Amino acid sequence: MKSSAPAPQVTISSVRIALTRWLVTSVLVVLAVVTLYPLIFTVINSLKSRADFAADPLGFVTDITFDNYIETFQRMQVGRLLVNSIITTAGGLVLSTVAALFIAYAVTKLKIRGGNYIFLFIIAMLVIPSQVIIYPLYETILDLGFGGTYQGLIFAYAAFGLPLGTYLLSAYFRAIPDELIEAARLDGAGDIRILFSILLPISIPAIAALSILNFVWMWNDLLLPLVIMGGSDKKTLMVGVALLSGQYDVSIPLISAGLIVALLPVILVYMLFQRQILSGAIAGAVR
Amino acid sequence: MAELANLARGAGDARARPFIRRDMLIAILFVLPGLALAILFKLVPLVRTIWLSLQETRGFEDPTFAGLANYRAMVADPAVADSFRNALIAFATLPIWIVLPLVLAFLLFQKTPGWKFFRAAFFLPYMIAPIVVGIMFRQILAPDGPLNAVLRAIGLAPLAIEWLNGPTSALLALTAVALWSFFGLGVLTYLSGLSTVSEEVVEAAKLDGAGFWQLLFHIIMPLLKSVIGYWAVLCTSGILIWMFPLIYALTKGGPGTATVLPEFLVFTTTFQFMDRGKGAAIGMALFVFVAIVSAFVVRRMYVEGSKPR
Repeated sequence: MKSSAPAPQVTISSVRIALTRWLVTSVLVVLAVVTLYPLIFTVINSLKSRADFAADPLGFVTDITFDNYIETFQRMQVGRLLVNSIITTAGGLVLSTVAALFIAYAVTKLKIRGGNYIFLFIIAMLVIPSQVIIYPLYETILDLGFGGTYQGLIFAYAAFGLPLGTYLLSAYFRAIPDELIEAARLDGAGDIRILFSILLPISIPAIAALSILNFVWMWNDLLLPLVIMGGSDKKTLMVGVALLSGQYDVSIPLISAGLIVALLPVILVYMLFQRQILSGAIAGAVR
Repeated sequence: MAELANLARGAGDARARPFIRRDMLIAILFVLPGLALAILFKLVPLVRTIWLSLQETRGFEDPTFAGLANYRAMVADPAVADSFRNALIAFATLPIWIVLPLVLAFLLFQKTPGWKFFRAAFFLPYMIAPIVVGIMFRQILAPDGPLNAVLRAIGLAPLAIEWLNGPTSALLALTAVALWSFFGLGVLTYLSGLSTVSEEVVEAAKLDGAGFWQLLFHIIMPLLKSVIGYWAVLCTSGILIWMFPLIYALTKGGPGTATVLPEFLVFTTTFQFMDRGKGAAIGMALFVFVAIVSAFVVRRMYVEGSKPR
């Protein structure tokens, strides 16, 4: 009896392995459905007419209509909001990256005393969340004369993106050997030249990763643009979506279309840069 | 080799000395834009928040110095107590925030068929703006929305409630939506930690007959202690500072104060009730907690990123 035991055991364990496989896959599939369904649901709703949605709010779309998308452009002025979002996101992204490049170069490649303290000071700004300082931040922007302008939000974005940029670029610069810089210096290159024509090209991967991370949170942020730009015609897409969804006469298909327009750019970026995003996202969780 | 290094350093010093003032000037110019951004748009507003929290502000009147009156009013205000109690209740869900992504990451780590697709799908919600997530889920969680339709269809009709209208269920729903939105980041965090675990360790444990949970709790978790700690810190600060757009879209804090978290109370106190002084005081209370938690993150970044001595 004992000698024949191993054979059935193998089959039992292989059945167990197959069952586990199945179980694992089905758990993952269920979770993937849970993560994707809200998006699919919103896309479907955005393609329904108001009457179709009223008749069957949960079903699939029967007559596809793009009227909701057209209406978002007319009623929400999505075109204008898109432009606002692009200007402020691009401005914040460029400004915070440039400022971070200069600081990262100074604290890693220039022989200055207290470089580490400057580095610490910049990344320590992470402990100040926008929620805590939101009104005085708004007041400060008004005092500087940037009320209702793009610059106000751009400066705020740049300041909130700076710690992460400084951290990532400093780490990258530190890995670049100092000999490279010494050699360029001997050739008579100044610091600006060294930074922009030697370090910058080498650092493109780091800058790309940083830009993607900054793009996502700046594009998606609500509180800063809501407070700084909420009342003006320079408000961003997310503020527009938030304010629109608060109105009671707005139909769900119309809101859904607005949501899809708002998240489409991020989804596109995600599809194009999936590898960089999936490898760099962990650093980007803090700001 | 060491001599050479010394020689090189000596040469560097000799070269640097005559230009030390110019070096200093360049360094100052280089750090100036970033320092200006950090000081003007973070440090100054923080100092002004402290100052504002000591002011009596009503509506549009000029503020007057009020000492600690705002802090006294804050401590006495049941809405403030509610908001921190709600945060505590949300913290009670932290074990799920920490374990669920770990289990998923471990499943993906074992190269389950289609793991790349699952990884991409799980991370997608994190890419979507929280305000958009909130508005989407207002539809999903509506009394006649898809969630309740599914519950009724599978015979769980008693569970098909007005999710956002009951005090307990609203806070639960808010936390669940936040988890939906952020768990993918946890999966990625753990995957990056797991990539440092050698497959041999896992294989050896499997040969010893360790099951999935044994493997997870006795082999993987001890190896990933620091990653788990990092993620736990992120989640803790997340419950304090990631929720604003979700609350704004889902419940506006209601019903009553059931889903008001401190960050949302700062906003409503300041902009709705126009009590900027008290808003700043609540902000400072929130700041203390956030600063303690995120100091861990900053310390980790500093240790990794500062110049080795």
